[in-house]
Amino acid sequence: MKTGHIFDIKEFSVNDGPGIRTTVFLRGCPLRCVWCHNPEGLEPGRGVLIRQRGCLQCGRCRIPCNHSDCQGLERCLHACPMGLVEELGRVWDAESLAKRLLRDADLFESSGGGVTLSGGEPLLQHEFVFELLGLLPVHKAVETCGYTSADVFLKMMEMVDLVMLDIKLADPGAHRRYTGVDNTPILENLRRLKASGKPHLIRVPLIPDITDTPENLSAIAALVGDSPVELLPYNRMAGAKYPSVGKQFTHLISKQENNPIDTAMFQNATLRRDAHS
Amino acid sequence: MNQSLYNFILQKKHHSFRAEVTTDFAAAFAAAGTPYAERITARFEMLMAAQEPHILEGEQIVFLRTTGKTPDVLTEEEWSTYRAEHGYVHELGYTSNLCGDYARLVATGLDTVREQVNEYGKREIDAIFDLCERYRHTALQQGRDDIATVLARVPHQGATTFREALQFFRILHFSLWLEGCYHNTVGRFDQYMYPYLAGDLAAGRLTEQEAQELLEDFFLSFNKDSDLYPGVQQGDNGQSMVLGGCDAAGKDCFNALSAMCLRASKSLLMIDPKINLRVSKNTPIEVYRLGSELTKAGLGFPQYSNDDVVIPALEAYGYSHEDACDYVVAACWEFIIPKYGYEIVNIGALNFPSVVDQTVREKLHTCADFDAFMGEIDAAVKATATEMTALKSAAPFLPSPLMDMLITDRRYRNFGFHGTGIASAADALAAIGTHVFEKKDIAPARLIAGLDDDFASDPELLRLLRYESPKMGCDHDLPDLLATRLLDDFADGLAGHKNAYGGIYRAGTGTAMYYLWHAAEVGATADGRRRGEPFGTNFSPNLFAKIDGPTSVIRSFTKQHVARACNGGPLTLEFAASMFQAPDSIDKLAELVRFFVMKGGHQMQLNAVNADKMKAAQQHPEQYAQLVVRIWGWSAYFVELDKEYQDHVIARQEYTV
Repeated sequence: MKTGHIFDIKEFSVNDGPGIRTTVFLRGCPLRCVWCHNPEGLEPGRGVLIRQRGCLQCGRCRIPCNHSDCQGLERCLHACPMGLVEELGRVWDAESLAKRLLRDADLFESSGGGVTLSGGEPLLQHEFVFELLGLLPVHKAVETCGYTSADVFLKMMEMVDLVMLDIKLADPGAHRRYTGVDNTPILENLRRLKASGKPHLIRVPLIPDITDTPENLSAIAALVGDSPVELLPYNRMAGAKYPSVGKQFTHLISKQENNPIDTAMFQNATLRRDAHS
Repeated sequence: MNQSLYNFILQKKHHSFRAEVTTDFAAAFAAAGTPYAERITARFEMLMAAQEPHILEGEQIVFLRTTGKTPDVLTEEEWSTYRAEHGYVHELGYTSNLCGDYARLVATGLDTVREQVNEYGKREIDAIFDLCERYRHTALQQGRDDIATVLARVPHQGATTFREALQFFRILHFSLWLEGCYHNTVGRFDQYMYPYLAGDLAAGRLTEQEAQELLEDFFLSFNKDSDLYPGVQQGDNGQSMVLGGCDAAGKDCFNALSAMCLRASKSLLMIDPKINLRVSKNTPIEVYRLGSELTKAGLGFPQYSNDDVVIPALEAYGYSHEDACDYVVAACWEFIIPKYGYEIVNIGALNFPSVVDQTVREKLHTCADFDAFMGEIDAAVKATATEMTALKSAAPFLPSPLMDMLITDRRYRNFGFHGTGIASAADALAAIGTHVFEKKDIAPARLIAGLDDDFASDPELLRLLRYESPKMGCDHDLPDLLATRLLDDFADGLAGHKNAYGGIYRAGTGTAMYYLWHAAEVGATADGRRRGEPFGTNFSPNLFAKIDGPTSVIRSFTKQHVARACNGGPLTLEFAASMFQAPDSIDKLAELVRFFVMKGGHQMQLNAVNADKMKAAQQHPEQYAQLVVRIWGWSAYFVELDKEYQDHVIARQEYTV
């Protein structure tokens, strides 16, 4: 039985595919997009999230403890009287997680919904993901950055009903600068996805002056062709969770408002009205 | 919509027509020793005579209150005596929270009704006729022959058109409020008004567009005088309208007028009338979609009730099948029977967390295991419920000649109780079961000491109770089934007891304002709730419970035997308003509500909330005059609420799902 690290399970997630869905957030991501609004999902394995609001600065969470589930963490999970310390990347085995998710199988069935795996980057834990997907006899979707091997990507496509692939920057240099990795494997997987005939959706996060420029968007438009595209406006709250995980939000985003977006440069794009979640 | 009329009402310009009523009715009546029915009638006559006809520009449905707040008919001293005589007086003492037979009066006309009623009734009808006649003259003077024509027929004779029927209803409703009745509900409006609409449409007297405009004009009338209606807070006025639902043969009755009402409400974005939607397993998804559109608009309604659960529950309470199928909701969510129910469905409330707290203090140290402790809880809840039946058994209403016309057969005289803090109590029991008896990491003495000092010296205890115990709302059987047991105990404790009118007592899952009042009566509780923190409203999770999402909440709150505790009281789900930006959010929400109904939930109410907006409205109320929020069983304009209610709504949404 494979185990995975999960940092959230969200019921009734309305932006992650058709029908009523539960989205599972898997911890760990190979990219370091400067605009990432889920910083608690970046590191692999386990960790802690410490919400700041209401903190009494009592220091109880720093006192060493003997709880088995606190081993290896820098804080005690069972000390905060305000409930502000939360475990990230809790360990689930595939069977227990499948059972938890299938609690809503009746609702998935009646609403045409299902389960979406998101992250972090779910395919970073691909062995666990494949075992989990095999245990879910419901509609399955994956939200991925596409930064994975051809083998993993092809196998994932076989196992799911819908692929949501993020394409951020077309220019390799800019991609390295703002996400920390080369985009070649991502664009190759985009080609595989388009060739597969698998239902899919390309998502483009619109980051002011970084990804939302006409140059980048038209280059992406050329790459995605007739694939359906969803453009996700910049979420001004993107930096909100950084202090809770001891990270600092980027200074590279120069402004809070997106540049005017012309969806017409794409063959088949919609602009989401809300900040993406 | 008639925009200029809408703006006129919105800007409260019609308030300038009002004159203060300075007559000290109570003192004069007390001095003369006037009987109560005479007082109600005489005051009504005087107030009706004091009304000045005002026809607003473009208005089709007339009648506007031009007197201010109405002085009482009893002096303080008399109320004390009256209270002592009856043991208890419910709320303000006037007739309230009922649903009369509007349909019969609208169909027959008051000329006929006048022949059937006593002297008081005749005098009140004559007062109504007099004001109608003055309105008719004003209409003629102002060249509004359309209004004069309507008033030449109604309310003397029965209505023959949709407009006449709406005008007739407005006159009756206006008169009820002025007579002193309050929480005057509207009932199954789409059922009793539909024949008039259908007749007009079939005969070509109205187009659908004209009918919609007329309906919206009529809806506005609920908002003209509502600031003068009594309630705990502005908005708590009970103008509940019920749409859809099945008939006695089981046929779904959602019709064209039901849909028009949902559209009218969405177009006006006003808090009255408050829309309730009756649904069942046969309700088409399209109806849920229309309802979800209204939820998205941020009005805090429709509130849904499930016929599949409520009708059999009411029959089990002793209501006939036909009457049960005709159920409506009272001011908030209490199920009542139009025409025949002369009931008090909010006579009091059982404070579940308080009963648990007392039992913890008195019995916990004596119990060898959790079963023994739960035996004590069963006994305590039942005993408390039974005691409650004795306290208010003879609660009376002051006479109401108008309600006597609307309810001629007082077939049902039952009383209903709310149940406050079910989730808090169930969570407390789950925490005790888990930590005191199963893990044994909390000793009874430590628990009580912690409750006494509000966990000040034992933060670890708070942590265990509050964050490391299973909570209702997470589809966890331990707390969920403890809630089942508490509600069963509540119902058992009331069963077999009769009030002074021969009616039974119904247990409910609502809280009304008790979520604040009852919370103030207990200190810290064993669910890890700190002293001073409120309970959730109605049938909802603890405010601080970390819940997984709405489907878990729905599963948790559909396990109880709600049919046994069916006085009413909805599960409330809060959604961030931004959720509705998703293009197919309406479809998804509709599916979620249907899921609740299919799971056997009895009542649900959904909110779209925006915390930032509410916080901004506290800073700059003048910019947010139309921001609507749901309180316990009614929607209100946020800026008109006292701060404690504002703060509770903001606190509640921190746990949006």
